Amino acid sequence: MSWLDGLRHRVRAVLRPGDHERDLRDEMGFHEDLDAMQQRDVGRARLRFGNRTYYLEETRAMTWLRWLDVLRQDLGYAWRSVRRTPGFTAMVVVTLALGIGVNAAVFTILDVLYLRPPSGLRDAGELRRVWFVTSGSRMMDGKGRTSTTANMFMYRAVVEASGRPRNFALYTTDNALTLGRSIAGPTVRGVMASANYFTVLGAKLALGRFYTAQEDSLGAGSRVVVLGHRFWQREFGGDTAMLGRPIEIGLEAYTVIGVVAPEFTGLDLQAADAWFPLGAPPGWGSGRWWESPNAWRFTIIFRSWEGGGDAEFEQRATAAYVASNREVWPVNPDTLGSVRTGSIIEARGPGTQGQDLIISTRIGGVAVIVLLIACANVINLLLARAVSRRRELAVRLALGISRGRLIRLLTTETVLLAAFAGAAALAAAWWGGALLRALLFPEVTWYDSVLQWRVVVFGAAVALLCGVVAGIVPAVQASNPQLVPALKEGAREGSAHRSRLRGALVITQAALSVMLLVGATLFVRSLQNVQGLDIGYDAKVLLFGTVNFDQGESMPASVKAAEMARVAERLRARPGVEGVAGARYAPMWAISWMTFYWDADSSFSLGRNIPTWQPVTSSFFETVGLRILRGRAFEDGTGAPREMVVDEAMAHQLWPGAEALGRCIRFEKRENPCYTVVGIAETSRQSRVIEEGMKPQYFIPIGNQPEEGRLATLLIVRARPDLVGAVSAGMTSSLRQAFPAGHPTVTPMTQNLEPEYRPWRLGATLFTAFGMLALIVAVIGIYSTVAYGVTQRTREFGVRMALGARVGDVLRLVVGEGLRVVVIGIAVGIALALAAGKLIAALLYGVEASDPGVMLLVAAVLLVVAGLAALGPAWRAARVDPVVALRSE
Amino acid sequence: MAKSDLLPGTLDMLVLKTLSLAPLHGYAIAQHIERSSQEVLQVEQGSLYPALERLQRDGLITSKWGMSPTGRRARYYTLTASGRRRLGQEISDFDTMLLAIGRVLGRA
Repeated sequence: MSWLDGLRHRVRAVLRPGDHERDLRDEMGFHEDLDAMQQRDVGRARLRFGNRTYYLEETRAMTWLRWLDVLRQDLGYAWRSVRRTPGFTAMVVVTLALGIGVNAAVFTILDVLYLRPPSGLRDAGELRRVWFVTSGSRMMDGKGRTSTTANMFMYRAVVEASGRPRNFALYTTDNALTLGRSIAGPTVRGVMASANYFTVLGAKLALGRFYTAQEDSLGAGSRVVVLGHRFWQREFGGDTAMLGRPIEIGLEAYTVIGVVAPEFTGLDLQAADAWFPLGAPPGWGSGRWWESPNAWRFTIIFRSWEGGGDAEFEQRATAAYVASNREVWPVNPDTLGSVRTGSIIEARGPGTQGQDLIISTRIGGVAVIVLLIACANVINLLLARAVSRRRELAVRLALGISRGRLIRLLTTETVLLAAFAGAAALAAAWWGGALLRALLFPEVTWYDSVLQWRVVVFGAAVALLCGVVAGIVPAVQASNPQLVPALKEGAREGSAHRSRLRGALVITQAALSVMLLVGATLFVRSLQNVQGLDIGYDAKVLLFGTVNFDQGESMPASVKAAEMARVAERLRARPGVEGVAGARYAPMWAISWMTFYWDADSSFSLGRNIPTWQPVTSSFFETVGLRILRGRAFEDGTGAPREMVVDEAMAHQLWPGAEALGRCIRFEKRENPCYTVVGIAETSRQSRVIEEGMKPQYFIPIGNQPEEGRLATLLIVRARPDLVGAVSAGMTSSLRQAFPAGHPTVTPMTQNLEPEYRPWRLGATLFTAFGMLALIVAVIGIYSTVAYGVTQRTREFGVRMALGARVGDVLRLVVGEGLRVVVIGIAVGIALALAAGKLIAALLYGVEASDPGVMLLVAAVLLVVAGLAALGPAWRAARVDPVVALRSE
Repeated sequence: MAKSDLLPGTLDMLVLKTLSLAPLHGYAIAQHIERSSQEVLQVEQGSLYPALERLQRDGLITSKWGMSPTGRRARYYTLTASGRRRLGQEISDFDTMLLAIGRVLGRA
């Protein structure tokens, strides 16, 4: 294989330059010596050989050094031309930096979500998660889903089906533990994991040991803990003496037996602080949770084994899972469910994707679009400049530079520009990536830096790609002028096809901007729609106050309730307070709890629509803004009569078509005393801002509930809209005064609701930000194209003016020509937006992805903005002095 | 007849032709070209080495160190299969060109 010989030779020359050089010297020396013998004259031999150093140099230059040398020349040239035009350079660098920066920032997110396995694992490629496809028969909302959530029965079924218990582990996360007894103490993000979790993952220790299977035995486990490295550093100053010492998690003491290696932070986005054996999980009490199919919170992981094909294992596991379902749920078992396995990187698995994830990937697409627009813009700028450099390039070509070399020279220049942009972009990504992380995953504390080396590599690759792509088109164009006219003509643009290319670029930019702006508008509409939904409560003016106590320090319920009532009384008198009520749960955070019986025949199944139970004071309804449609509110207090209020949905559910007022409901037992329905309230949202159908709910007087339910643990205050802040501060201080040993918290209802609006807010924010960016870049593109066209046609305008054209005529001409291209762009953009609509359809609310109003609005906005951008240069064209223009050539 | 410089681009062809007879070291290649052209074609001998390097890179020739008859270490160059193909190509190109030049000069 001859080419292989050649390659071997090259590789050797590069890898062992010393040997290569010595060989050459030897060989040349040998040559000269032989010739000297032949000629019998050393001097003559020297002469015949020629300049030895030169030839040595020439031969050596054929290695990669020569390539470097040429590169240096090109870079030198590029650098000089970059410095000659600082304004142009700045424009290109800023445009590209925005495009690249946006992509690098999004990459920081997508890398963590999709590409990078959790750190500190051995052979992460072999690790899998187990997903369960449930058919929905056991789900509250009746919807099937695919999730990693499992209980012990599912775990056992899967492990048994595998026959390899050592390859499997399960874990769950509890982010609400605290270090020490005080609930205000430092948060501990705890992982409860089976003992082989560590061996399956191949996690490493910095100190001590992991817990054993013995220490992890269910019901008889030991209270031991393995600490996260950062947690150990943060809370204990990295003290090695912590080994063997107890730490308090809530009321329970755990002995520290190990500290994991710094790179291991668990499997979730949120780094774990401590690992506890499943045999002794903190705060779970002494119940036999592993015997309850409702302890449905674990994730199963395993290391795949040789010869254990995923598909074959999935089949066996599915059979075992269904069999176990039949046993565990005698009534209504999920026999259609199945088991799937997938990557340890959760987002890559078969799971039902949350809106965060969907938005993250869509934002990735948006970032690419922004980059395309930026690139199109840079190409446009370069094309315009290439025309003004035609003479220089023609001279170079005439002097004999090869076309390839010229293209390389020009491309090097854009790559250099892109490199600057890349550096600026990384700074942007560092800032933007952190911002995106905070926006997309507000609940996660990130320990690793935004700028991983992978992000840097990614940014560099994108910059390089951009430089080459943006450089090569204008370079090829510029390197192919008809020499003679170019040399003769000066810097006037002659050929029509070049301006057609520029027109195409403007069309591309306009089209892509339209796409992004349509997306942004759709999200803004969705957000408005969701925020405009009537949830039944006046969320903006409601404040919730609660008091929590450290573990083991709670006060008697009756004392607490009485104190709460006194606080309520005091608050009522404060300025800005428009209403005070007590409740068991915050509105929309109530639960379905009690069994109840109504009428004589209540064998009727309520199905999944189980009404929510909410004990409240009588002032609740007017405080939260829930209207009583018929009847009245009940009275409360310890001796209050047994009365209740149901909402319309419940009235309709229980007594369709009949009067609900005056009816009777008995709780828990059929023979218990009767609660009379005295009021029908409007239907409010039960738990989500967006709910399918009407969710039933009923209210009972909090005062006459059994002991447990009588605690009005939640204080609801309605504030005057302009005094919400002041009232909130007043609540906090009142609660603190009344409960010196407790930890009061006051939250506005809007804060509770924020996660409900978040996906739309997120989409609206990101799409709008990126859409505006795209619009700005596109407008620069339109402006520069029109402005350039005007300078090229100065003479033409001069002639027109000389022949009697008026200012208005020229304005119309220039703006009209600019807009014609934009209109095509808008049409293309709308077509693209319609095609891409289904990608975001699932994220929208109350607006179709193909909404004609939105399309029209965006088209109008772009037209107006583009018109304004074209007006400046058009005005300049109209002011051309015919005499000057005609004389100029 | 005066000594003459090579036509540009023909050195590679001459080297390949020379090596098609036998593996030779650099000096022997230079000698052979000089002698067989009856001393008309004179290469500045050093220029041979960049050419040899280039040919090796393109995989047209390979080299091996061996002993010269005088007992000194010398690098011997051998033609590869693709070198042989290239030689054929170059000779035919050259012939075409010569013919064309001849026509222009009115000799064909």
